[in-house]
Amino acid sequence: MAEHTFEMRLDRLFAESPAFADADLFAAALEARLNRGWTTRRLLIGGLGLVGGIIGAAQVLSSGLTERLAAALRAAHPIVSNQVASIALAHFLPEGFPVNGEIFWMSAAMAVAAVGLAIVRFVREI
Amino acid sequence: MVEPARTRAAAHDLELVALAATGAREAFGELVRRHGSAVRALVRRMGADPSLADDIAQDAFLAAFQQITDFRGEGAFQAWVKRIAARLYLKRARRLARLELNASASGADHEEGYDGPSLGDRMDLDAALRELSSPERLCVSLTYGAGFSHAEAAAALNAPIGTVKSHVKRGLDRLRRRLAPDLPNSSESAAHG
Repeated sequence: MAEHTFEMRLDRLFAESPAFADADLFAAALEARLNRGWTTRRLLIGGLGLVGGIIGAAQVLSSGLTERLAAALRAAHPIVSNQVASIALAHFLPEGFPVNGEIFWMSAAMAVAAVGLAIVRFVREI
Repeated sequence: MVEPARTRAAAHDLELVALAATGAREAFGELVRRHGSAVRALVRRMGADPSLADDIAQDAFLAAFQQITDFRGEGAFQAWVKRIAARLYLKRARRLARLELNASASGADHEEGYDGPSLGDRMDLDAALRELSSPERLCVSLTYGAGFSHAEAAAALNAPIGTVKSHVKRGLDRLRRRLAPDLPNSSESAAHG
């Protein structure tokens, strides 16, 4: 009984923590670290996005895809999407590759989503 | 969204946790203001010097912020962060080779120039803890301060549960003599098993 009474008293003593005089300073320092981490994360995400965008834009420009797309649109084919798909197939896939346009674009979309998820996961990890 | 400071101050811990989970760092800052001292005190009570204790407490809060979605609200937020801090301290102490459970239990590791308790310290837990050996202090703080069971403490310390229990028991006996001399001594610790 006395044992239990003392343990309860000890629990209470441990729960009654002293108020440190520099408690506000401690909290402010921690908030500064949190903000610093947040800024770093935003810079990293922005930097990665910028690099990805530059690489993507360079690829598109160097491939001449825009010219082909414009030519295809000018040809005023009734089904533009088929033109785009055929351009994509002609440009990105080897000849005779057994994939049609829809599958190609769906795969591309899924790949983009997977990369996005990987980036989100990576950012969460750091 | 930045909620006004007055609203934050009145909010319940769980509301602040929910806000922090959305990335509201101001809400988490309020939690730090509320519970920072308790976490710092625990790490000091475990045996860390003030500067190390503050480092550990900061790291514990940062880890808590990163894992805030893991906090389900079954227990108190403060208890959750204390457990994180206790584990971080053990990890750091192990790395600094300060973790030694086989130290003599008979002699306390007094700081230089420590002259024993004054009358004003009689009910002072911190002063009483300084009377204990490092292993006793660590085991008592883990079980009563951080809420570890004996088994959890043994696992965290990588030590046999019997060793932890005996350190807790010896520590309790000495604390009781110091803090509650009016209570009769008994032989076995019942709680936190």
